[in-house]
Amino acid sequence: MEVLREKVEEEEEAEREEAAERAEWARMEKMMRPVEVRKEETTLKQETLRDLEKKLSEIQITVSAELPAFTKDTIDISKLPVSYKTNTPKEEHLLQVADNFSRQYSHLCPDRVPLFLHPLNECEVPKFVSTTLRPTLMPYPELYNWDSCAQFVSDFLTMVPLPDPLKPTIKKEEKVLPKKYTIKPPRDLCSRFEQEQEVKKQQEIRAQEKKRLREEEERLMEAEKAKPDALHGLRVHSWVLVLSGKREVPENFFIDPFTGHSYSTQDEHFLGIESLWNHKNYWINMQDCWNCCKDLIFDLGDPVRWEYMLLGTDKSQLSLTEEDDSGINDEDDVENLGKEDEDKSFDMPHSWVEQIEISPEAFETRCPNGKKVIQYKRAKLEKWAPYLNSNGLVSRLTTYEDLECTNILEIKEWYQNREDMLELKHINKTTDLKTDYFKPGHPQALRVHSYKSMQPEMDRVIEFYETARVDGLIKREETPRTMTEYYQGRPDFLSYRHASFGPRVKKLTLSSAESNPRPIVKITERFFRNPAKPAEEDVAERVFLVAEEHIQLRYHCREDHITASKREFLRRTEVDSKGNKIIMTPDMCISFEVEPMEHTKKLLYQYEAMMNLKREEKLSRHQVWESELEVLEILKLREEEEAAHTLTISIYDTKRNEKSKEYREAMERVMHEEHLRQVETQLDYLAPFLAQLPPGEKLTRWQAVHLKDECLSDFKQRLINKANLIQARFEKETQELQKKQQWYQENQVTLTPEDEDLYLSYCSQAMFRIRILEQRLNRHKELAPLKYLALEEKLYKDPRLGELQKIFA
Amino acid sequence: MNRPCNSMEPRVMDDDMLKLAVGDQGPQEEAGQLAKQEGILFKDVLSLQLDFRNILRIDNLWQFENLRKLQLDNNIIEKIEGLENLAHLVWLDLSFNNIETIEGLDTLVNLEDLSLFNNRISKIDSLDALVKLQVLSLGNNRIDNMMNIIYLRRFKCLRTLSLSRNPISEAEDYKMFICAYLPDLVYLDYRRIDDHTKELAEAKHQYSIDELKHRENLMQAQLEDEQARREELEKHKTAFVEHLNGSFLFDSMYAEDSEGNKLSYLPGVGELLETYKDKFVIICVNIFEYGLKQQEKRKTELDTFSECVHEAIQENQEQGKRKIAKFEEKHLSSLSAIREESELPNIEKMILECSADISELFDALMTLEMQLVEQLEETINMFERNIVDMVGVFIENVQSLMAQCRDLESHHHEKLLEISISTLEKIVEGDLDEDLPNDLRALFVDKDTIVNAVGASHDIHLLKIDNREDELVTRINSWCTRLVDKIHKDEIMRNRKRVKEINQYIDHMQSELDNLECGDILD
Repeated sequence: MEVLREKVEEEEEAEREEAAERAEWARMEKMMRPVEVRKEETTLKQETLRDLEKKLSEIQITVSAELPAFTKDTIDISKLPVSYKTNTPKEEHLLQVADNFSRQYSHLCPDRVPLFLHPLNECEVPKFVSTTLRPTLMPYPELYNWDSCAQFVSDFLTMVPLPDPLKPTIKKEEKVLPKKYTIKPPRDLCSRFEQEQEVKKQQEIRAQEKKRLREEEERLMEAEKAKPDALHGLRVHSWVLVLSGKREVPENFFIDPFTGHSYSTQDEHFLGIESLWNHKNYWINMQDCWNCCKDLIFDLGDPVRWEYMLLGTDKSQLSLTEEDDSGINDEDDVENLGKEDEDKSFDMPHSWVEQIEISPEAFETRCPNGKKVIQYKRAKLEKWAPYLNSNGLVSRLTTYEDLECTNILEIKEWYQNREDMLELKHINKTTDLKTDYFKPGHPQALRVHSYKSMQPEMDRVIEFYETARVDGLIKREETPRTMTEYYQGRPDFLSYRHASFGPRVKKLTLSSAESNPRPIVKITERFFRNPAKPAEEDVAERVFLVAEEHIQLRYHCREDHITASKREFLRRTEVDSKGNKIIMTPDMCISFEVEPMEHTKKLLYQYEAMMNLKREEKLSRHQVWESELEVLEILKLREEEEAAHTLTISIYDTKRNEKSKEYREAMERVMHEEHLRQVETQLDYLAPFLAQLPPGEKLTRWQAVHLKDECLSDFKQRLINKANLIQARFEKETQELQKKQQWYQENQVTLTPEDEDLYLSYCSQAMFRIRILEQRLNRHKELAPLKYLALEEKLYKDPRLGELQKIFA
Repeated sequence: MNRPCNSMEPRVMDDDMLKLAVGDQGPQEEAGQLAKQEGILFKDVLSLQLDFRNILRIDNLWQFENLRKLQLDNNIIEKIEGLENLAHLVWLDLSFNNIETIEGLDTLVNLEDLSLFNNRISKIDSLDALVKLQVLSLGNNRIDNMMNIIYLRRFKCLRTLSLSRNPISEAEDYKMFICAYLPDLVYLDYRRIDDHTKELAEAKHQYSIDELKHRENLMQAQLEDEQARREELEKHKTAFVEHLNGSFLFDSMYAEDSEGNKLSYLPGVGELLETYKDKFVIICVNIFEYGLKQQEKRKTELDTFSECVHEAIQENQEQGKRKIAKFEEKHLSSLSAIREESELPNIEKMILECSADISELFDALMTLEMQLVEQLEETINMFERNIVDMVGVFIENVQSLMAQCRDLESHHHEKLLEISISTLEKIVEGDLDEDLPNDLRALFVDKDTIVNAVGASHDIHLLKIDNREDELVTRINSWCTRLVDKIHKDEIMRNRKRVKEINQYIDHMQSELDNLECGDILD
């Protein structure tokens, strides 16, 4: 059986506090009808709960095999406040009321499980469940809304199974109601489906479908086999119900504290509700749960459906129509259940538990030890607190092929606070393809980098944040023989560049430092339409066939045309029969023009166009070469980043930001020193002498003079003492040194090298000390008269010795 | 001027001189050889330099249609002329000449840089057409009036100005004045104007500038108003109901009607006229509003039509483009296959296949085009019917409204006649109380005269109404015919163009293939 986490409830309550008037939170405890929960069990459970509650802010309980042990060990009862150990008269009264209520209930409904009303807390004191709730407002905005709050609670807690969730009685009951335990056979579902298929589809298709279905069924069966739940319907579980109405909660829903997920009240995972409570009241479900919780009506004001324990606390939440009816009809029940008059005015006492405190560290760490592993079917999710892993890893999702979780399909790793802005790393184990996703801000403006290996000139796709790049590159795809680049928003309207490479030519004379770029066979460039140019002059695509010395141009298509102009230049340099170089001949440029123009026929025009293209080709080749270099650079940078995996720290993060910490500490030190200085300056020389005289009286002249003299002589004495002290130390040091020197000279011959070293180091240290003492002495001698004079001056100006001035005046 | 070149004989800008200059300044080296081989057409020349040539008169430049930059500095030109054809000119240098007035630049709307340094100009003027002017050099001239600066305010792009060594540059306020009045100027007399000077100048001349700005704003507002009015009228004209939104028609009826005006002084006619006018104007406004509504309707109809046609054509083009792209892909691969093939029979077979592909493409494209033509024809006919119907309905309604006008007029005429006759009777009987103007009294000689006069007035009114109606009907009908004609013509043009394009493309493909064939056979 799963242990209740009181913490959950506390947390929810914490959040609930400011929502108290808005959404009705109710704690509920559900027990399946067959379960006989004994008092001991409840107690034990409650103890655990109390434990956990106690521990919630800091101590994270690891799963322990011996549950009671940790219960006792981890809590120091003596440190708990008195409210934990005793019951106030009001609480005692409440317990009596609860006992009365419980007795009548078991009398009226003997079939049902005894109520879970007042378990023992960690100090073995019975406490009413509602008083264990204390609405608390936490200082974290994330805990203000239910979803993030629930998520936090689920992360913050570790599930510890109860040592013995099954009681012998439960097993007996199991046989009585076997239906509850069997899962609906999938066959039912299928046959119905098949019937539908029969109507709709032809025989052949149906057969195929059947086969497919059977396979699926088998797979399903196999999957189901893994978890035949012997305890289905027997578990006791607590969860949170949020009632609609306040804080824009549109409808009732459940929150499961273990996952932090919300469920509809119709969800079939919730088999029934025995009772529910909040910090004000306790209700028993009087509705039949045969159809799970689907038919339950959560109108807590309806006494037919919900039997309350205390009257008149939650009136405001009743729906009015029901209130009137129920008030009359269920008068008897109320009486029967012993709702005495005095109870009506009886308020729930204040909670006896202490307020929950969650330290910011604990809040940030979230999970116990900052790490949590959640096992799913064919998947595993691991979570870490930020900064826990040195590489910034915060969560990892591993997907497996099989149920045993041995064959990994893919791994997704999420990172945070990475300096290289890496956000997500996706590794597909079947194709071995790795994909890195980056947030904006990478020095190379990387967005996505997918690759199989970090070696250059291999298959890879790099996407960029094109607005962060000067050249507007969006994507660069590489295969061993090609490189394709996509651009956007360039002033030259280039949109695409494709380069294919030939095999690398071996250069024998090549020095190793020089790179040997692959020969470019072909460059294809495409351009967007440049609206400033007429279409027949705006190149749409140009192909440089480097090896064949061809240049092909295709122009943009005019708006009202379906064909586009084309031009092809043969870039051959030939020599005519006379040996002159042929500059340009008409057959070096083959062009097709949609609307033939005069000036393009000219050789001069063609020549200039070709010269231009030659230049452009050179540029493009250079560009391709630079792109290759850039890829190398990126790969190098990535490798470095991967190796260094530096994390960024926000300047507002006072705890982690070393720089700001240092600065702050320095500031504090300065402040402290300043303070010390101030204290020193405020030192009152006169105080000890004034203390001898009767206080409050004005000093006579004689007294003032006497006081002054006394003070000065005392100070003089102190200065002399200090000088003597320094002198004495100096002499002592000198003597010791002399002695040592003597000793050394006497024993010089017999000394071992170590002793000699020792002696030498002693000498140098002693010399240092002597020198320092000497300096101090000199300094003291210098400063002493000044200090004396300063004191005299000070005393002379002291208002308390005003008489002195009168003399001189 | 007493420059050394003055002693030389003035030269004429003839063909030889231009050819020589073009040849010298044309492409060099390899390109130059090509150029020489082919010859350079004047209209291909982009820049021309004709300095230190003692030219007296600018001439023979009309062929240089595409000229961007023209240098005529250091000549003895006295008058700016012969530049009308050089509409693309961006850069014009006329410095160191003997020009006295700025003129002949009205067609050079693209001019950005104009240098008139060292001339004899005394007034900045006639530059209105040069809206893109950025640099203006007028140093060393004879400009002596500061007010010339204000003329330069209209050039919003002007950034650089040179006016040094003019009489005005001697004035102590010269720099401040210019900075204040031309706040967008960046460089004055080859120096950058610093912000401090600008501020100072602004402060100094603030009042006068504010006044000037106010005047300019007023002018601008007036211009805009005028523009708006014109646009409004234009809009009404396209609806064929201009001047019907008021008493314009009514007033025009009485404008040429002397008898009617005289008769209006008859007792009782004043009020009659007033009510008549009111009713008449109401009908006119009805016509006007109806006209605008109908115009809107016609416009939406036309818009829908053009949009649909455009979409259809676009769709068709896309299909064509796809076909061609597909074909080209296949064609390219088969061409390269042919080039690599060595067996002659195979080559021939492949070439045959290729030409079959080409003719298939031709068929496909032509089918597409014919399909489109048919579709469009249908749509156009439908549109024609609709628009003609709409125009018919409009005319009918307007005519019925106009008939109401005529009824009103007849009614008024009868009343007037009645009053006139009763007045005549009164006059004859001699018991007319009021005094009538003399010219009016002259009409009341006998019954025929007065009836004739009233009839003439009525005839004039009817004529005016008829004229207005006729004008409206003729204009809308002609608009309709023209529109329909244009649509038909456009469609025919489009069709021809497309067929031509397809043929051209197919011919090109075929000839390419033929060339390949020849080449292969030669090999």
